[in-house]
Amino acid sequence: MADPASDLLKDYQAMAQQSWNAWTRYLQQAATANPLGGAAAPGAHPGAGADVLARSMAALKSYGDWLQGAAGSGLGQAPGDWQQSMQQLFASLGGQPFAQAFAGIESDAARGFAQQWQAWWQATQAGSPNLGGIDLEHFAAFGYTRERQLQQQALAAAMREYLDWAGKYQVLIQRANTEGLEKLQARLNEFGDSARQVESLKALYDLWVDGAEDAYAQIALSEEFRHVYGEMVNAQGRVRQLQQQQLDAVCRELGMPTRSEVTAISKRLHELRRELRAGAAGQASDEVTALRAEVAALKRELAGKAGDPPSAATKATAKKPATRSNKRVAEEEEASVRRVKPAAAVAARKSVVRGATRTRK
Amino acid sequence: MFAPFRLDPASLLGEISAFQRKLSAGLSQLAHQPEPEYANTPRELVYREDKLSVWRMKGQGTPSAKTPTLIVYALVNTVWMTDLQADRSLVRNLLEQGEDVYLLDWGYPDGADRWLSLDDYINGYLDRCVDAVRKHAEVGAINLLGICQGGTFSLCYTATHGEKVKNLITMVTPVDFHTPDNMLSSWARDMDVDLFVDTMGNIPAELLNWVYLTLKPVRLNQQKYVGLVDILDNPKELTNFLRMERWIFDSPDQAGEAFREFIKDFYQQNKLIKGDVVIGGKPVDLGMITQPVLNIFAEQDHLVPPDASRVLERHVGTADYTQLAFKGGHIGIYVSGRAQREVPPAIHQWLSTRN
Repeated sequence: MADPASDLLKDYQAMAQQSWNAWTRYLQQAATANPLGGAAAPGAHPGAGADVLARSMAALKSYGDWLQGAAGSGLGQAPGDWQQSMQQLFASLGGQPFAQAFAGIESDAARGFAQQWQAWWQATQAGSPNLGGIDLEHFAAFGYTRERQLQQQALAAAMREYLDWAGKYQVLIQRANTEGLEKLQARLNEFGDSARQVESLKALYDLWVDGAEDAYAQIALSEEFRHVYGEMVNAQGRVRQLQQQQLDAVCRELGMPTRSEVTAISKRLHELRRELRAGAAGQASDEVTALRAEVAALKRELAGKAGDPPSAATKATAKKPATRSNKRVAEEEEASVRRVKPAAAVAARKSVVRGATRTRK
Repeated sequence: MFAPFRLDPASLLGEISAFQRKLSAGLSQLAHQPEPEYANTPRELVYREDKLSVWRMKGQGTPSAKTPTLIVYALVNTVWMTDLQADRSLVRNLLEQGEDVYLLDWGYPDGADRWLSLDDYINGYLDRCVDAVRKHAEVGAINLLGICQGGTFSLCYTATHGEKVKNLITMVTPVDFHTPDNMLSSWARDMDVDLFVDTMGNIPAELLNWVYLTLKPVRLNQQKYVGLVDILDNPKELTNFLRMERWIFDSPDQAGEAFREFIKDFYQQNKLIKGDVVIGGKPVDLGMITQPVLNIFAEQDHLVPPDASRVLERHVGTADYTQLAFKGGHIGIYVSGRAQREVPPAIHQWLSTRN
């Protein structure tokens, strides 16, 4: 005879085991995936040294490839069709010279995050039944795992949204690339007026860099770029948020502390620390107030006795020279008093002097 | 017919083979490079709290300046840019001029610092560091030299704790965060910073470095390394290059809460020049800064555009305002040859008439 309670427990344990296996597979994939190439993603695997080296070497390699391409492009050999030679040179690199430097860094970032997502998705789907090509993302959720299905669907939708914005971002980067080449050609055309000539491939490269950065800066400062950039970052944040919620659920099932718990504890600890410090400062402040009142009372008492002949003790005190610190503090206080001026009065006296250095005083 | 190139097959091949030769020969140099050291000017620990340290920097002789100067660096990157190498050190130059220099090293925040706010940094840490320097130097008020975000912090601090600041120097300091050429600000404007911080916690330095690289992607990701090939056979230049790489990439993570507040109040809402910033219940009114102010900015600064700094003149309350426009960039202002000749002497000269 079936035992419903026992079956439920078994189901629950199986589900927890499946989640754990999914995480294990995910972490294993992440650890072994492309240790050099995929490490440039912010927040993915910030594995410092190898990444920096890989990025630097990739930059040099793409420059070296371009040099080789330039040698075979006929550049400088036929004066009449230099524009065609230029186009051939850059076309041979897919219209994206130095993609590693320009679009590459974001491509790596997007790819890194996408790879992370892909590994996660594959890991979570590994134990799911094969439903013959049904679109699980839009499948009506029901049954015991209904909430989990909804979470997975939300995550998939969030990732799709992120990829959509990342694609729009890439379009803007491509535009910067294209306009950079146009600027290079325009600058080379200007050489005709000045009789200047490019005398090395490095000089041509430097000219291209100037054009590419100018084109990129124009686009990167546009409203369109601001919007796309913001949405891309926000979409990535939503994916991360949903992933963290799922991870929290897995940790709870396994009896492990969750991220949200650790965050809440650290926040409370911080608040407690602030309260303690504020309390201590308040206590010290009370003591200072009491001491000041006492000093004031003593001064009044001394003032009352001003007409009396000074005692031996007060004479000695009066003759004692001020210490270095007392002197300095007194000077500072005096200077501080001299400095204080109402802002409005000061503003009226502001003067403007042209030049690298200017002073109003 | 016009042709913009003066290239021939022989010169092309010569250039390509020279590049490959330099690269293959130079890579062996990279393989044997130790980690480059910073200038490591002698120093004495004056104060330590959590992860921050305040150092008194020591020169050859006794400082002639009566008032000590505390350097307050940004939370991003490290203060060692001001003491990068022996012949490119703002600190050493100031010491040689006779200034009494203290450095605030914020350290490297970790998860325990996730909830540190601007109030903690400015009214807490910075105030206690200023007190420590005042006590150590036995003075009532000190000079502040704030750099970049540290300059913004110093402005906020001086506006609210003016009695402890005698003179204020700001270097490459953003004041107006909405100038049209401010790329970082533009990118931050549409970000949901709450979602960002809630999901990231502390903001990884690696992520911020990536953002900075994308401000000038070709120059910083490729042209710089192509240029490296030309110095691979020059041990001194190569070491200098690698030292700078160390400084650029050896950066602290950002405490999440302070990052959230800074992006929202300064980058997104530009509250500083509106007089709307409130830190720990204290309104920050730049008009309350009545101390002498020296504002130094870099004319080719791609991180803090000159106009973002220049505007300070219109907002501070002091009658004694001086500005210095440096011909260089955000980093060159500390490490270029011109900077060594121009910046520390200008600071010293300005201070010497006000200490």
